[in-house]
Order: sequence, then C-alpha cells, then structure tokens
Amino acid sequence: MPAKHPIAGPSRAIGGDERKRMTKLSQFRILALAAALAAAPVAAAQEPRRVTIAGEVSDSWCTVSGLMFARGTAHHQCAIWCALGGIPVAIRSADGALYILLKLGDDENSAANPRIARMATHEVVVEGELLERDGVNYLLVDRIADDKGVITMTHEEHGIQPFGN
Amino acid sequence: MRGSRTLCLVLTLLGPTGAPVAARGAEPWNIPHEKPVTLKGRVVDALCHLKGRCAPDCGAGKRQLGLVLANGAFRLAAKSNIDFAGAIPDLIGYCGREIEADGLLIENPAITLFFVQGVRVDPQSPFIPADRFRSQWEARHGKADEWWRADPEANRLISENGPFGIRGLAPKPRP
Repeated sequence: MPAKHPIAGPSRAIGGDERKRMTKLSQFRILALAAALAAAPVAAAQEPRRVTIAGEVSDSWCTVSGLMFARGTAHHQCAIWCALGGIPVAIRSADGALYILLKLGDDENSAANPRIARMATHEVVVEGELLERDGVNYLLVDRIADDKGVITMTHEEHGIQPFGN
Repeated sequence: MRGSRTLCLVLTLLGPTGAPVAARGAEPWNIPHEKPVTLKGRVVDALCHLKGRCAPDCGAGKRQLGLVLANGAFRLAAKSNIDFAGAIPDLIGYCGREIEADGLLIENPAITLFFVQGVRVDPQSPFIPADRFRSQWEARHGKADEWWRADPEANRLISENGPFGIRGLAPKPRP
C-alpha cells in the first residue's frame, strides 16, 4: 500500500473564510520566504584552495567595460593608469576567467601598488590561494612562478588604447 | 494569483542581490551586464573580510574595498566616476560604517563588480558624487586636465619599457 503523502488529501470545496485564512497564510509564507532569501548569502562561500593560475595581468575596469581593447601591448599603458588609479587588477586566464589580486607575496597592498602596476599586461604564472565569493575569484598570490613580460602583440591592430597616444 | 503577485512585488523590491533596489539616478554607462542599483552595506577591506587579514583603517587606502550587504553578499567596489580610477577614496572614510552607494552592478559571467557613482550615510541626503580621487590626486600633484598623463608614478613606469611595455618597441611616428 503506497504511503500517503502528508500534504495530499481529498479535494474539497473551500469556503470564503477558509480561503481568506489560506490567502493570508500564503502571503505570510511568501513574505517569510522572501525574508529568508534576503538573509541568505547570494552565493555560498567556498573553501579556499591552492591554485596555479596562468594568464595576463590586466585591470578589471577595461576588461569588463568593453569600451576598449584590453589586451597586450595596445593596452599596457592604460592598464598601468588603471592599476595606479586603484582599480582592482586581475589575471585573465586563457578561458576568460578573471582572478582579482588581493595579495602579492608579503605585500598586501592591492590598490595603486606600483609593484602590481609594473606587471600590467604581462603574461604570468602565479601560485597562491583562491577564494570564490559572490561572483568573484579572489587570488592571494604567494609566488610568481613565471613572468614572461608583455608577449601579446596587439598594438599593430589596435594602436595605443584608448586614445591612440 | 494574489500570492504570486505578492511574491513578485517582494522579490522586485528586494532585487536579485537581496538589497533594496529603488529607482534613482545611477547613470547608465552602457557597460555589458550593467544594472543601476543602490547598495546598502558596511564598508570593509576585502582581504580582511574574506581572509581575516586585517589592517588598521581598512588598509588606509592601500587595499581594495567593498560593501557587505545585509544578506552577507560582498560586492567589490571597482570604479568611481573618475577616468581610470577606483572608488577607494570615496569609501575609505566610511571604513566599518553602513552606507548607501549608488552605481552600477556589473554581473558579467566572468566577474561581478560594483561601479560606484555616489555615496551617502543618511538616506535622506543626496548622494555625494564618487569623485574624491581627483581632489586627493590634485592635493598631491596639482591641477591636471588628465591626471593619468601627469601622474609621476605612471610616467616613471611607462618610461621604463615604453607605452607597449616592451623596451625598444616604440609607437610609429604619426604622419
């Protein structure tokens, strides 16, 4: 004999008062659900993990804005400006993932740091800790395993971004 | 039906971030995936909030900052109204405090960022434009039409290897 579902039951007509009570109950449940949704983190925090990331160092503004060509030689100068302006700097891997730099070795200054700005549009391999939170990959770099410098030649096609000089 | 309408209304008011979203003056910048929002949250240093590695005064302007919303979400503040400049100067004075920030939430599939256009503490007050980078820069270096071309540190770094980042590789002379 199949077990009865706890909320299943024979259908029956619902009177006006009962309908009002159920409507209020439904509204209460909906509000409670909405409150619970609001209180819940947008994305669950994941445990940090050790990673090795390879990619190009670039500022997050130019990369996501789509207002300019944000790669390689054409973007080197602009990426320095943005990094020194305090815009978060990221490593963009070959698959398009972005990793925001929050630490570089013992240096925990991630804003307007000339040491980071000097690496603008460099192709690097780094080792460190990855924290994934609310749609962002944060990278705490322990070691730069390789720095190939600027190797993506884009200036012939795109000039100097974004102003041409 | 009525319940569904109530749910839609509640979710609309809350917005996808869980923070109140109201129609106000965030200016569209035509950035892919942008959405005008007002975020209400506490200003924190990203490294401190995410990893517990804290510094006095949220890093005193040397660390990336963001907002922790009521639902626990952390939004990284990436840009201000000033060209090539972030919003740290606009937020650092509110370290540890609850504020409202008006701007654009960029929910790019690769990353979620918040571009700040204005901040305020009192919800009844107008937003203070997020342009403090300019005044702070000018206090250090003097007036300039384009801070980025006049910035001594930027010019020093660019002079090391040229505008393309490769020593000896120079732009072609303009005809």
